[in-house]
Amino acid sequence: MPLIIQICFLLIAPFLYQGIINRVKALWAGKKGAPLLQPLYDFIRLLNKGEVISKTTSFIFQIAPAFNIASIIFAFLLIPVPFFGSTISFEGDFVLFAYILGLSKYLTILAALDTGSCFEGMGASREITFSTIVEPAFFILIGTLALLTGQASFASIFSLLNSSAGYTVLIEILFSLALFIMIITEGSRVPVDDPNTHLELTMIHEVMILDNSGPDLAFILYSAGMKMVLFSVLAANLLIPQNIQPAIAILLLIGIAFLTSVIIGIIESLMARARMSHVPQFIFIMTALSLIAFAVVIFFLRGRM
Amino acid sequence: MLTGFLLGCILFSIGGIAAIFIKGKAKGIIFLLFGFAAQIFILPSSFNILLNGGRYENIITFSEPIGIASLRLDSLAALFAIIISVGSLLASIYSIEYLKHYDEKKYSFSSFYFFFGLLISSMLLVVVVQNSILFLIVWELMSVSSFFLVIFESEKEDVRKAGIYYLIAMQIGASFLIAAFAWIGSITGSYDFNSFKTILDSQGSISIILFILFFIGFGTKAGFVPFHTWLPKAHPAAPSGVSAIMSGIMLKTGIYGILRIILLCGIPERHLAYGVFIISLITAITGILNAISQKDIKKLLAYSSIENIGIIGMGMGMGMLGLSYNLALVAWLGFLAALLHTINHFTFKSILFYGAGIVYQKTGTRNIEKLGGLIKFMPITAVIFLIGAMAISGMPLLNGFISEFALYLGMAKSFSYDSASLNIMMIVGFSGLALVGVMAILGFTKLFGITFLGLPREEFLNKPSEASKLFLLPMIICAGIIFIIGIFPSTVIQLILRAVSQFTQFNSSAEFNSVVTIYSSLAKAISIFVAILIFVFTARYFILRKKSVRVFKTWDCGYQSVNSRIQYTGSSFSLPFLELVEAVVPQKTFVVTEKEIFPFEAKLKTSQHDFMERIIVQPLLKYIRSFLNLFAWIQSGKMQQYILYGLIFLVLIIIYVIGVM
Repeated sequence: MPLIIQICFLLIAPFLYQGIINRVKALWAGKKGAPLLQPLYDFIRLLNKGEVISKTTSFIFQIAPAFNIASIIFAFLLIPVPFFGSTISFEGDFVLFAYILGLSKYLTILAALDTGSCFEGMGASREITFSTIVEPAFFILIGTLALLTGQASFASIFSLLNSSAGYTVLIEILFSLALFIMIITEGSRVPVDDPNTHLELTMIHEVMILDNSGPDLAFILYSAGMKMVLFSVLAANLLIPQNIQPAIAILLLIGIAFLTSVIIGIIESLMARARMSHVPQFIFIMTALSLIAFAVVIFFLRGRM
Repeated sequence: MLTGFLLGCILFSIGGIAAIFIKGKAKGIIFLLFGFAAQIFILPSSFNILLNGGRYENIITFSEPIGIASLRLDSLAALFAIIISVGSLLASIYSIEYLKHYDEKKYSFSSFYFFFGLLISSMLLVVVVQNSILFLIVWELMSVSSFFLVIFESEKEDVRKAGIYYLIAMQIGASFLIAAFAWIGSITGSYDFNSFKTILDSQGSISIILFILFFIGFGTKAGFVPFHTWLPKAHPAAPSGVSAIMSGIMLKTGIYGILRIILLCGIPERHLAYGVFIISLITAITGILNAISQKDIKKLLAYSSIENIGIIGMGMGMGMLGLSYNLALVAWLGFLAALLHTINHFTFKSILFYGAGIVYQKTGTRNIEKLGGLIKFMPITAVIFLIGAMAISGMPLLNGFISEFALYLGMAKSFSYDSASLNIMMIVGFSGLALVGVMAILGFTKLFGITFLGLPREEFLNKPSEASKLFLLPMIICAGIIFIIGIFPSTVIQLILRAVSQFTQFNSSAEFNSVVTIYSSLAKAISIFVAILIFVFTARYFILRKKSVRVFKTWDCGYQSVNSRIQYTGSSFSLPFLELVEAVVPQKTFVVTEKEIFPFEAKLKTSQHDFMERIIVQPLLKYIRSFLNLFAWIQSGKMQQYILYGLIFLVLIIIYVIGVM
């Protein structure tokens, strides 16, 4: 059952997610906006095209997008669906989750360096620099949840989380905020990165894929959308209580994913991209939130310091 | 059985001696033959012990002062013996090809093989000898023989300097060991390791101080911060085969020593466990931070060895914490992580050093800023190097992930224990290890991406070609081990768990089984990932089958006259990150301009400093030097004064003798 829900999500969610963001931005600007499923049409259009490959590149450039999409799909299977549980679950699955995403990042960076383009090298360098802040914060977050529940897998952590004491609400909110920053950073949205920018010098993620075209570009766009859905579903797991009706759980899941995309759209309408040197400060908020939550847990759970 | 094992140990040395008497290319072949013969003696007995448990013991009686020396091969020793034996064989295959590059008249191949054999034999003996004096002898033999290998290119001044630095560092480490062994020997009145158990096992300050002495002594060999400074100097100086053996294997004798002491400690003191864990975390972070800022391939790899020693140390620290808090599963996972990462580090670090040697020989430089695009010239080397670079960053499907997974899981498991200090320590370790992991991605995408991808940044004098088969063979074998452990971890883990079970007194099969279960479900998950990968690649193949794939140049933003110098360099790749951590890895930039009105040339020079070296090691050395300068008058250089010393000595002796009579 969780697998069926996950497959439904995999098929449609990344396109809708990006479509909603674009629609919100359009509405905010007083425009009508593209169809909600425009990203899907783009995806299909790209799949039907041929490719142009730089003569500088090696095989790495061609395998990276496929690795990218496979990692994202696999990572999604590791995340439980509220009420239904997860498809793949074992102790320590969150480590595999983080490292599989690391694998796709590794190959994306190498593919960028593979083109020999100075722009793509620049994007790769920025991408990994920001990851050095995100990853430890994510592990503080997961570690705190493991500490709070005494469990070591996504499924068991989330199933025990909401049955714990009242202060977990505070922690859930802190972590949802932290995960939201992670969505923005990993999904390359404003204020970390602007997906609509037209100047290579200011890009991060977009600049790494300048040379990709055709089906490979379709894979990359799909993965980028899916990555945001991935972390939204993770945040939804935090917020949705376990002891509710399955239909309500699914509705809440969709609702939270919808809400995050709307908020991202609103943020993009209201804000400009932050200066590159200010981006780390923004991402450090995630570290701070995670640390605060950890302190709260230690305070309540192990009050005898 | 142990006699056969010992014969195997000695065979490497005999091979080295035999190589002296043979001329030309056959030197390497004869050495290799002896190496193969040694495997026949070493591997069966070692595997037998790992599979069936138990141990072999031999007692040899020497004349005083060694006395009765016991040699024991238990599962811990057997595990290390296998790594040393197999790793050395691979390194000797590689070295045969590597030495071809050198002029036989200028360099002494005989001494190379002689010391190479001596080094391997002494490393093998280190893990079985359990008599402190004999142990120190083989330990020193190991240091000295590796010193001669480091200074193989002794006509270069920096090589000689690095060699001397290395030798001194080793002697400082050994002096701590001598102090520790002498002290413990004077208390117990015995040189046998087993008798140390009573002292180390007991509570009290003596056992703590002894443990610290041992840790510093062995830690200097292994490269724990702040005793790591010799690594980035000695590794680049040595020939690549030797670097691979030193980094992949010899450092691990230090790890072996620490593990042996932990084994004798029984339930370790809690503070010591925390100490080991914290030092290891600092070691890992320091190592990889400095690795990122390097331009020299081998220096980068040396710093990354420090990082990996830190990860192994975190495993040991976690194991000790598990023992002292009586958390059985945490202890199992900790020691499992330490031992497994020891094996894993040997496989990928060997590949990387072998690859670095090939790059150096083919292009004549180790500076990554001058390289680029090598994947087109040497595709097989590049692919294997990539496998090594991905494995060392802990990427799933490869073996580095398997050992780091044990570490993460152990820390996650310890969260269920009710202790604020342990919880805080473990969350620091948890996120610290994640930081180390992501920094490793940065460091190794830089190393591989800049060296092998893109376009050559400078014109090569000779067009580099693919490495020869003898170069590739050891690399391919290591890559095979990487994949086997990475995709089918369960079998290897069961083997290693035998060695782990030595550490955990509560010898329950419950933990054994739960670790194996967790790993088999991990393996299942990984196989699902492989299935998805295959699916995506097949889909991509069918999507692209009838489409046109055009080859064109890289998007250059409309700029027409692109040259390869415009590419991102390694320094620029790591700069944004290094700016974030500038406080810890300070960079110095010098701009040299001509003092003219219309200057033609300007030069920019950047250099990095090892923070730990600057704030700990150098001030310490300065104080020691100024203290020792107080005694400089003894060594005045005046002949008359020395004659006076002799005279005084004689007079004292005469007085003493007369007094006794």
